[in-house]
Amino acid sequence: MDELKLLRELRIEHPTVKESVINDGRAQLLQHIVSPGIKKNKRRSKTALRVSLMAAATFGLVTVLVGTNVVGLAGWRGAASAQAAEVLNNAAALTIKTVDPRVGPGQYLKVESTNLSLSTYGVQDTSGIVGSNDHVEWTDTEKRSLYVPANRDQEWVWERSGRVPTTFFGDKSKEVAYQQAKEQGESAQYLSAVNGAFYDSPSTFPSTKELAAYPRDPRMLLNKIYLENIGSGQSIDGQALVFIADLLRTGLVPADLRSALYKAAAMIPGVVVTENQATLDDQQGISIGRVETVSNFRQDIIIDPETGQLIGERQVTLEPLGSVPAGSTIGWTTIRTTVVDSAP
Amino acid sequence: MTNDSDIIRRSRERPAAFAELYDKYARMIYRYAFRRAGESAAEDVMAGTFLAAFEGRDSFDHAWDDARPWLFGIATNLLRRHHRTEAKILKIIAKSSGRDAYTDSTEQIAEQLDAIATTSALALALCKLSPVDRECILLYAWADLTYEGIAQATNVPVGTVRSRMNRARRKLKDAAAALRNNTEEADHGRTQVTA
Repeated sequence: MDELKLLRELRIEHPTVKESVINDGRAQLLQHIVSPGIKKNKRRSKTALRVSLMAAATFGLVTVLVGTNVVGLAGWRGAASAQAAEVLNNAAALTIKTVDPRVGPGQYLKVESTNLSLSTYGVQDTSGIVGSNDHVEWTDTEKRSLYVPANRDQEWVWERSGRVPTTFFGDKSKEVAYQQAKEQGESAQYLSAVNGAFYDSPSTFPSTKELAAYPRDPRMLLNKIYLENIGSGQSIDGQALVFIADLLRTGLVPADLRSALYKAAAMIPGVVVTENQATLDDQQGISIGRVETVSNFRQDIIIDPETGQLIGERQVTLEPLGSVPAGSTIGWTTIRTTVVDSAP
Repeated sequence: MTNDSDIIRRSRERPAAFAELYDKYARMIYRYAFRRAGESAAEDVMAGTFLAAFEGRDSFDHAWDDARPWLFGIATNLLRRHHRTEAKILKIIAKSSGRDAYTDSTEQIAEQLDAIATTSALALALCKLSPVDRECILLYAWADLTYEGIAQATNVPVGTVRSRMNRARRKLKDAAAALRNNTEEADHGRTQVTA
């Protein structure tokens, strides 16, 4: 085989790019454009340091595991709480019986999602004191409809509503959020691209080949997730749950893999029921999550216990983030998938 | 259709227009940086690339419609700060790739073992390349730049890109060939035993 082909296929790749990361980078850029010289708040550098320390620790752990031929991390370091495991395993049992709607020739899988994310913006303090800058925070909501053709090599369509300021923290927040929205102008987008390669970029959606390659055995699946996420996130277990939530929210995961992902989540130490009656975008379910103690952040997945259906996922901060109070939801996504006969 | 050069020109009058370039290419830069130096570095490199690009937008050569070589050039410079992490990742992949591979079919096991060995050999060979040769071949293979694009990104003549590519390809090819030879020898040995 050609060495360039081998190189292209070298698997060092994360299947999806997190929207929160893209949004954060965009906010940094816009902040810089409007107020050059104002840096992002200090919390960020602290987080970066924490991440790099954890990454170094993870590398060390993995090196030791590889060196001692301990090949898997799943199953021997504890698991989710009994209650969380029961919810997840029940959902898995219901999901495996689910038959995903078939996307016939010429039809599309339509993945509708509502996405909430946090925006941070640096504002100049008008008191005139040198260096006395402040930050404001708010959340934006964006609705997206992704149309995936039966033959995924054909043209996909992605309608994005653009970001609409939704929740405000503090007096200045609303003013700045609307000012920003005005500066950016019309942000709704209609995108089309073969094989999901929007923005002239390689597709950020998991391919059918990638999805087929994930083991359906939960322990093997979790081991693979741990290995694929070496050096990412703030802890291997926290990152594994974030990875599962990210994959599920694409709406492209087939029922057998969704079921295996639920079972894999049930094997992650620290995963517990975080809310028995969680409401997300007006839908009620049970929230299963894990607190990342390094950053006081919680990743939840919300499941309808009656059907095993994923309602969505959310991120909650357990410590104040600037003007955002502890306990606030700083991001969530809900998804709904249907089969339609045409794309716009 | 608006090209990248138009967006950059427009951003002189209306700076926020520069965000259009971000929307087009942030994911691409992120994925490239992620593959090379991991998640933490990727976030910094992606954000840093666009901040530096915005600051230096007057230096953009408008003879190019496409801003990718320019952006990947900035990202490549920023990635040099992460060369230790990159080396560490490649070494870990060389040692650990495929240790999670499980299957119940003998034929698939053989295929998986081949894939594991190839990944390890390639990761090791990549690690041993000189930094400029590695940047060059990865801009080609992972960033999909042309030779001319790489020349612009790394600020060297196209002839230099050709010689770097030839050298890097030869070394990777040698690594893959050495692996094939070993495999063939091993197969041969097994055949003799069973005969």
